[in-house]
Amino acid sequence: MGKLPLVAVLLALAAVQTSGQSAPRQPAPPRPSGAGRIAGHPNFNGLWQAMTEANWDILAHNARPGPPQFGALFSEPAGVGVVEGNAIPYQPWAAEKQKENFKKRWTDDPEAKCYMPGVPRATYMPFPFQIVQGNNEIIIAYPFASASRILHMTDVGESPADAWMGWSRAKWEGDTLVVNVTNQIEDTWFDRAGNFHSEQLNVLERYSPAGDNVIQYEATMTDPKVFTRPWKISVPLYRRLEQNAQFLEFKCVPFSEDLIYGHLRKK
Amino acid sequence: MRAAIATLFVLVGLALVPLAAQQAKSQWKTPWGDPDLQGTWSNQTLTPLERPRQFADKPVLTEAEAAAYEKQLVDAGNVDNRNPGTVQDVNLAYNQVWWDRGNKIVADRRTALIVDPPDGRIPALTSAAQKRRDEDRSASDNEKSAASWLDFDVYSRCIIRSALPRLSTGYNNNYEIVQAPGVVAIVQEQMHETRMIPLGNAPHLPSDVRQWLGDSRGHWDGNTLVVETTNFTDEGRGSTFQYATKNMKLVERFTRTSDRTIDYQFTVSDPETWTRPWTAKLPWNRIDGLIYEYACHEGNVGLEHMLSAARAADRKK
Amino acid sequence: MRLTPIATLAALALTLVAPAARAHHSFSAEFDVSKPIKLQGTVKRVQWINPHTWIWIDVKKPDGSVEEWGVEAGTPNTLFRLGFTREALPVGTEIVVDGYEARDGAKRANGRDMTFPDGRKLLMGTSAGNDAGSKDK
Repeated sequence: MGKLPLVAVLLALAAVQTSGQSAPRQPAPPRPSGAGRIAGHPNFNGLWQAMTEANWDILAHNARPGPPQFGALFSEPAGVGVVEGNAIPYQPWAAEKQKENFKKRWTDDPEAKCYMPGVPRATYMPFPFQIVQGNNEIIIAYPFASASRILHMTDVGESPADAWMGWSRAKWEGDTLVVNVTNQIEDTWFDRAGNFHSEQLNVLERYSPAGDNVIQYEATMTDPKVFTRPWKISVPLYRRLEQNAQFLEFKCVPFSEDLIYGHLRKK
Repeated sequence: MRAAIATLFVLVGLALVPLAAQQAKSQWKTPWGDPDLQGTWSNQTLTPLERPRQFADKPVLTEAEAAAYEKQLVDAGNVDNRNPGTVQDVNLAYNQVWWDRGNKIVADRRTALIVDPPDGRIPALTSAAQKRRDEDRSASDNEKSAASWLDFDVYSRCIIRSALPRLSTGYNNNYEIVQAPGVVAIVQEQMHETRMIPLGNAPHLPSDVRQWLGDSRGHWDGNTLVVETTNFTDEGRGSTFQYATKNMKLVERFTRTSDRTIDYQFTVSDPETWTRPWTAKLPWNRIDGLIYEYACHEGNVGLEHMLSAARAADRKK
Repeated sequence: MRLTPIATLAALALTLVAPAARAHHSFSAEFDVSKPIKLQGTVKRVQWINPHTWIWIDVKKPDGSVEEWGVEAGTPNTLFRLGFTREALPVGTEIVVDGYEARDGAKRANGRDMTFPDGRKLLMGTSAGNDAGSKDK
């Protein structure tokens, strides 16, 4: 009979073993996707959330009532503020406009209409957002209004028009992810207190690691049409650690339709 | 004996062929070793979902037939060939430059995207599904007298555009895939959502938690990303795929087949809708452009206008 | 080999436009097929937004008065990928719009066919004067 059949059998066995490696296998148990570094940089992958009262008001503020028909249900907690120096350097006309915004905030806040919140508000709204850190692009997905951002790490040129979540160009400076956000449309607010900006707003974000489960987030706002000088906010972002933590939808459009179109409903 | 040895060699040969093919495909890998699907892609194609009746006996076209068919489709799809004064003309809305349906049928020249059942047609609908379809069509015909936004489909309301699995549409058929260990994220240009696909076998959301784009779980099957999506919702017209119920199950398979192509196929099953599951295949081709923001709800004056038109019609009565 | 002729061009075009589940913005619920309109005016403002670009034009009436009309166009994203930017349709450009009037009586129309006064289609990106805002291809 000779060696031939034996060789064939061995080859067959080798083939069976190798093809077994391509069959679906049980995935490894979950590990924190943020552990360690990735591609030479801090690993910011995962689900993050700010723990702050900033979405109500980025400045220090008292506890205050919500719409009266709901009692204490939608009232607002006090906050120490996230703005460096606790002051937003409005030009005089803009300071007046912010006060008008505040008076009409429960109808005029773009959040009420489920409009995408813009940057940096999306970062400190009280919902978990997910960072997916690729090499050439980083995605940040926010649940509210299903807002998404693509942070371009390569040269993509200028934005052709303005966008609700702006145009983000990013790079690493050491261990800090620096993101230059331009071309935001003027219609977003910084919070529910009516703090606002113009279409000339430029936001410079800095994401720095402060341990595996904390990112120190800073954002500097420059807008010569509205403010007298740049100003900065700072707030830590905490990793959501629950075993079943997951990015979820918050598609709020249906909740806003009565507010927006109610006057056109058939009587 | 010789026959047995020959058979053994044949069997060994067959076992080795898939391995060789896999090694050829596995050049696209992320740094941590997962197959790499990253980049910006478009799923646009002129090939229809279902096989047109004229091609009932023809699952695949010859090269000559395909070239002629493609040209016919491109010419027919050119909305600058007008038939003014018709409802069709109003619905074609703008000049051709605003549309982006593509100018190619699928490269393998199939006459339908559906590969199973073999006749290339959606399987028979249950009677409940036929009823849902008929109700939706009737509601569509009555939009001119809509009482509220609820009379419009979720597309017109800018909630989703459209239900998964997404087919090739009139424009913005673009997707961006970014991967990290344990997750695949797909940004859909229409409408700016990110499909977040955790990898692994964690259970789906509880059955009473529903999402417009469902709840996805992914895993690798060799070089293929398999995504299973459940927990859909049926709130609102057009919120489900092809008149399915919220219990539809979607399985998608993504396989990188070249630098510029992903082989994409989906299987949908819903016994309350179709008498059997069915599968379609359409390629995702790389685009060299970028995804741009598609802020739909924020600019949705069209819905406001349609409602104010309905109220104006009320006042005329 | 001759293929069986496709029924009508318009019917096929509609097949391509409207996926089976009829997910589309009902233009005929917003604009009136019985009210075709032809407008000529100068561009005042362009909103490069989704889901529809809006082009606001000043239309000079025979009696010399000026009316502002809003013209609905398509998604700007398609144009961006062709290399156009918001400079593609400068303020002051004279355009001709052949479309249908809004059903609610407001001064709005859909831009079913938009051209320059000499008949060249808008945004085709090949002729002089039409390259404004268009990057080199």
